[in-house]
Amino acid sequence: MTGRVSDRAMTSRSSGFELELAAETDNVPLVRHALRGLLEASGVPEERISDIALAVTEACANAVLHAYPRSRGQFEVAADLTPGRELVVRVRDHGSGMAPRVDSPGLGVGLPVMAAIADALEIDTPDGSGTLVRMTFDVAGPAS
Amino acid sequence: MEQAEPGVEVIIVTGEHDISTAPELERRLEAALESGHPVVIDLLGTTFIDSTVLRVLICAREEAGERSVGFRCALGETTGHGVRRLLDLTGMAGRLQAVPTRADAIAGAVAPGHA
Repeated sequence: MTGRVSDRAMTSRSSGFELELAAETDNVPLVRHALRGLLEASGVPEERISDIALAVTEACANAVLHAYPRSRGQFEVAADLTPGRELVVRVRDHGSGMAPRVDSPGLGVGLPVMAAIADALEIDTPDGSGTLVRMTFDVAGPAS
Repeated sequence: MEQAEPGVEVIIVTGEHDISTAPELERRLEAALESGHPVVIDLLGTTFIDSTVLRVLICAREEAGERSVGFRCALGETTGHGVRRLLDLTGMAGRLQAVPTRADAIAGAVAPGHA
């Protein structure tokens, strides 16, 4: 595991983190705790933190569960909280994509939950491999 | 996670639970259902669950129904916002047979005609 505080934190009032993690379930709560620490330090209301933690947990669970059904890999999480009180979280894996999986241990509700909580949700397959989930959250007030 | 009630399997889930702890919860629920006793899941001290944990809870409830074993969840004011939010978003609160206190949950789970 490697992690570092965003370089941009040194040059502006943006704050955030970037993590590269093994695609293992034990790393999902680690991401959530890093995110919670960032948002608590920025004075984001507890219920909003809880909602965002849920959306990001679901994205990370997808990366761990769906990305590498037959092999172990890495996933990356970047969180960037701008001075304008917008949080952008990117969850990136390099696996086989978010294909339907009949033996999925999920309920199939992860994506709808992410979409309901995030103010914007984009799912992409950059460079033709893996999945990038980009969620934007307004943290200045309650979700719309 | 623990249990403490004669004749009833009470599983108390405290703190945060997600994909990293769902398998352990699933094993404990399977063992509780194997006992044949009514099963109560106490979520009063649960602060966070993700959809993998919700799936484990719903599967346990369905398994209890198939076995005609009493089943209730305790879900109340002290249950974390994150838990209630996930249930609201997924519309699955009703499927957990939730009641507001552990005493209500035990009474409901042991009552005849529960399944």
